[in-house]
Parts: sequence; C-alpha cells; structure tokens
Amino acid sequence: MLSIRNLHARVGNKPILKGINLEIDQGEVHAIMGPNGSGKSTLSSVLAGHNDYEVTDGEVIYQGTNLLDLEPEERAWAGLFLSFQYPVEIPGVKNIYLLKASVNAAREHRGLPELKASEFLKLVREKLKVMQMDEAFLHRNVNEGFSGGEKKRNEILQMQLLEPTLALLDETDSGLDVDALRIVGQGINQMRSPQRSVLLITHYQRLLDIVKPDFVHVLANGEIKLSGDHTLAERLEREGYEGIEAA
Amino acid sequence: MSGFNEWLTTVPDDYAPKAMAIGLPSKRLESWKYVPTRSLSRTIWQPASVQADVGFALTAGRFINIPEQEGLKHTDNVLTDLEEKRISRLSEVNGFALTQAALEQSRLIFEVQATKSLDINLGHLANQANAAGFATLVLRIGAGATVSLIELFKKSEVNKPNLGSIRFVITLERDATLTHIRFQSANGQAHIFSNIDVCCEENAHYRLQSIDFGAKLARNDIHIALSGIRASASVNGLAVTSGSQYHDTHLAIDHVVGNTKSDMTFRNMVDEHGEATFNGRVLIRQDSQKSATEQSVANLLLSDTARVNPKPELEIYADDVTASHGCTVGSLSKDELFYLKSRGLSEADARAFLQYAFAEGIVERIEHEHIRELVETQLLGELTHGDLIAELRESVYV
Repeated sequence: MLSIRNLHARVGNKPILKGINLEIDQGEVHAIMGPNGSGKSTLSSVLAGHNDYEVTDGEVIYQGTNLLDLEPEERAWAGLFLSFQYPVEIPGVKNIYLLKASVNAAREHRGLPELKASEFLKLVREKLKVMQMDEAFLHRNVNEGFSGGEKKRNEILQMQLLEPTLALLDETDSGLDVDALRIVGQGINQMRSPQRSVLLITHYQRLLDIVKPDFVHVLANGEIKLSGDHTLAERLEREGYEGIEAA
Repeated sequence: MSGFNEWLTTVPDDYAPKAMAIGLPSKRLESWKYVPTRSLSRTIWQPASVQADVGFALTAGRFINIPEQEGLKHTDNVLTDLEEKRISRLSEVNGFALTQAALEQSRLIFEVQATKSLDINLGHLANQANAAGFATLVLRIGAGATVSLIELFKKSEVNKPNLGSIRFVITLERDATLTHIRFQSANGQAHIFSNIDVCCEENAHYRLQSIDFGAKLARNDIHIALSGIRASASVNGLAVTSGSQYHDTHLAIDHVVGNTKSDMTFRNMVDEHGEATFNGRVLIRQDSQKSATEQSVANLLLSDTARVNPKPELEIYADDVTASHGCTVGSLSKDELFYLKSRGLSEADARAFLQYAFAEGIVERIEHEHIRELVETQLLGELTHGDLIAELRESVYV
C-alpha cells in the first residue's frame, strides 16, 4: 500500500530525513518511535504534503501512484489521513462544517452521493459516542479552546468519519490523560481492518499497549535504525534510545 | 478643484464660499491621506432627484415617509445649543465637511420619548448618475429609552458616479441605549459618506455594528463622547474591500469623564486592488480615572495588490485605567490552509472557509437576526466558493 524509498527531506537548508525506507502493507499497523528531533513529525508532514518541507531525494508510492506529486487535498481524497500532533484552531469555522465538508469531499471522490443532513447527523452522533464526546463539540469552532485531549479526540473523530485507507497518527497520545488515552486508543482499534493501514508515531510505549502494532521502527537522526515487532517497543521503554542512536 | 463648485455657487449657505475656497481635502491632510478623491473632484456633481419608496428612506438628501409612531416625535430645525456646537464642529473640520454643510438639503430632528423602546429603520436609496444628496439626522434619545436604528442601503445599479452623505448628531440621555446597525452594500459607483457624532450621558450605551461591502468609496467618520459616568460605547466593524474599492473608517472615542468603558473591534478583508483604512483613536483624559478601553484591529490581505492602512491610537492621560489593544496585518495562515486541505477541502474551499471565519468574528455580533442573515448572504455571495459554506449552514440546522 505504501512504499517509502530512500526518502530525503529538509526544512530550509537543514536535512531532516536522510534516506527513509519503509514498506506498509494493507491492514498493517506500524509504529515509529524515536527521540525528539529524530524526524518523526517531519515524516508525517511530508507524507501529508506540508509545503514547508522539501523532498530532496527518494520516492513515496501509495497505491501505485507517486504520492509526492499530489496536493494535500488530493492525498486526502486518495484515502490518506493525518492526525495532527498540534491540531490547528480555526476560530469562526464550526466543527460540524469542517466535518461535513470533509466527509462529503471524501465521498465525492469515492463516487458516492453526498450524505443527506439527517444521514450525516446520525453518522456523526454515532462516532461522537465512540469518542465519548458531547454533541456540543459540533457547534464549537474547530479546535478553538479545546483542551489537548479534546483536540486529539476530535482528530480521531475525523478519522472515524473519513474512514481513510492509510492513517498517519502523529503523537496522538501526547498530552492525554489515562482515560483519554484509552478512549483514543479504542477509537483507533475500532478502525483496524484488513483494508486499512495505520502508521503511529509516538514517543512512548503506552499507546502501543492499547493499539498493538504489527511492526515497530526506531527512527533516529533521519533514518530507520531498527525494526522489529511489538516487543521492540517494550525494549525501548526499558533501555531508552541511547544504544540505538549510537548504533 | 472640487466637483461641487458649480453646485456650491448656487446655494446661499454661509459655508459655501468657504467650501469653495478650501476645496476638497488633499493628501496633505492626515485624516484624508489615503482617500482617492479623483472621482469626487472630476465629477460635476449636481443635486439628485427624489425617488419614491415604501418605507422611511433617504433619497436625494431628503427624508421620505417619516415614520409616525408612538414615542417618536419629529420637529424641524430647532437645535439645542450643544447640538449647534456639535454641528459646527462637524462642519468645519475640512473642505469636504464644509461642502457637506453647505449642500445639506434637509435636516430631520427625531426625539424619542423617555423610557420608550422602539425601532427606526432607515433605507438609503441610490442617487442618480453624477448626483448627490446631503442630509443630517438629529436623534435625541430620552432617558431610559431603548432604540434600535437600522440603516440599509438599497441595491440598485447606477453605472456613473453617485453620492450619498448623511450626518448623525445623536444624544443619549441617561440610561438610554442605542443599537445602531448599518449594512452598506451600495452600488459600485457610489460614494458613501457617513458622519456619526454621538454623545452618551450617564449610564447611556451606544452600540454600533457597521458593515461595509459596497461603494467605490465609502468613508465613515465616527466620534463618540462618553460624557457621563458609566457610559459605554461598543463598536464592531467589518469592511470587505475588493476590485478597486476604497473603504475608510475613522473612529474616535473620547472618555470625557471617568468610569466609562469602550471597546472597538474592527476587521478589514481586502482583495484585488482594494484599499482599506482604519483609524481608531481612544482618548482617556487626565481626570477620566477608572475608565476601560479595549481595541482590536485585524486586517486580512488576500492579494499582493491589496492595501491596508491601519492606525490604532491610544491617548491616555489618566493613570488608573485598563487599556488593551492589538493590531494585526496578515494573509491567510498557511497552517490553517494545510489543515483544511489535509481534510479534503480544495484550495478554493479552504480559502473561503478561512475568509468566512475572519468576517464571521464581526458578523456574528450583529444584534439583529434579519440583518445578520442579509450580511451572511452577501458575504457568502462575495466569496469564491462561498456556496459550500452556504450549503453547510443550511444543512446542519435541519
């Protein structure tokens, strides 16, 4: 489904990704762990198409097409979803407008008819329940005044509604208390399916206790230094990144 | 040179010779520095002719269908000394003000009886090609009365320069409240001048919500004096400027006495070759202790050729006051655009969302549902891809 080959990227003149290779197949959950500044968030931003990052070498093939040729919205239409580490606040735009516009954009590009107002409300209420969010969230402005945990839940709510083929979850566990972590983790688990792949980016193992990954990779200094199964995450939790970074 | 000279020679008013001698303000006058006066000076202006309409309206500098309602009295031409003084002050500030004074075609005095609660709806009819109208409305609001004054500009196409000018001299007696809403969506050749002079006595409250979309040139001069303790002024304004439009708001709030409050929130959204000026001045005098003022000015530039001239000014001479102010100028946020696009919104839709959001900060404060809806409709109509938001608004409330 996703094939990242020798990916190099930089911000300004600073190289950050220095030759990433990663294969993600349909239905797999991969976790990328790594210390601060290793390039984790850059990887997710490059995959989602943020234009602050310049790709200097390598390619990313997603379902047979060159992902890097697509605009961010085209990537979304192709089934890619990024849960932001820092979801953007948009005062003046109601959450429900964004949710509905994005769901209908996704449906349009899948050749499905727009949801009727009543169908959409039914769907969104169902998903709100999963994320244990109050309906009032729909009428609040996008992420404005949301707590850290509410923002992350709102991201997973969007993922639930958009049903992506590939979800990139960038530090979705950061800033969450134990209860919110469980809700978010369950929200992600509920989306696991043989058709859907997930790339989790995280510092800590705690989310991986809830969402068990098939593969764990360690990113350090812009490269994947080590890959393994979920036991690698446990090892990292015990031993830290130091040994790996030195390798 | 002034395009009003021919007309000025025909009026007997004392101000006429002065207006002719001084001429229109030039760029050397600070408060008119950015105003493109070319079309004012090159058009040979003449008096407009009165048109018929159904409601209370201003046409050709004359008020028609003056409302008869309980609690609202209208009289002619007997001004109080203070009103006289205020009008003279308004008339003499610059060459255009002198022209306004000299060419004034009518003056209406309204008195709202104490403790009454009523609505005044004033329509503005577009004047004909090369024609102008000048009028003054004096509004006295009795103690404890609550008034809503709504100004709506009728849409009609006039493809030559046309001009409408109104001066307001408003007095709020103690405990009175005026909510003043103006929605200006005049035709693309219109020159719209609005000169609002307000005096709030003890515990009186003036609330202005001013929306400018239309006109080739629109200029609002607003002066509010908080003359009694616990008086307050709250001004919210939005100007949406595009094409080669010019919008200008000069707002001054004078905390004449202490224990008074003011806030102003103004937003300019400028696209194409549009230019917008906002000058917001707050004066807190030395003895006006325990006053509070908040000022927030935001400017959104949507093209490389759009221009804004924001100038917030705080003049504070008292030491026991609270004051805050902020002024921003910028284009649409890249991060916000990226977030929306990553959710599948096209570039154009994402831009429309953010422009809507910017304007909505003011629009949602309009304290009149019908006008708010009219403004929403106009806003969404002006935005490229505003139809998406229009559909969303309709559908999510079903």
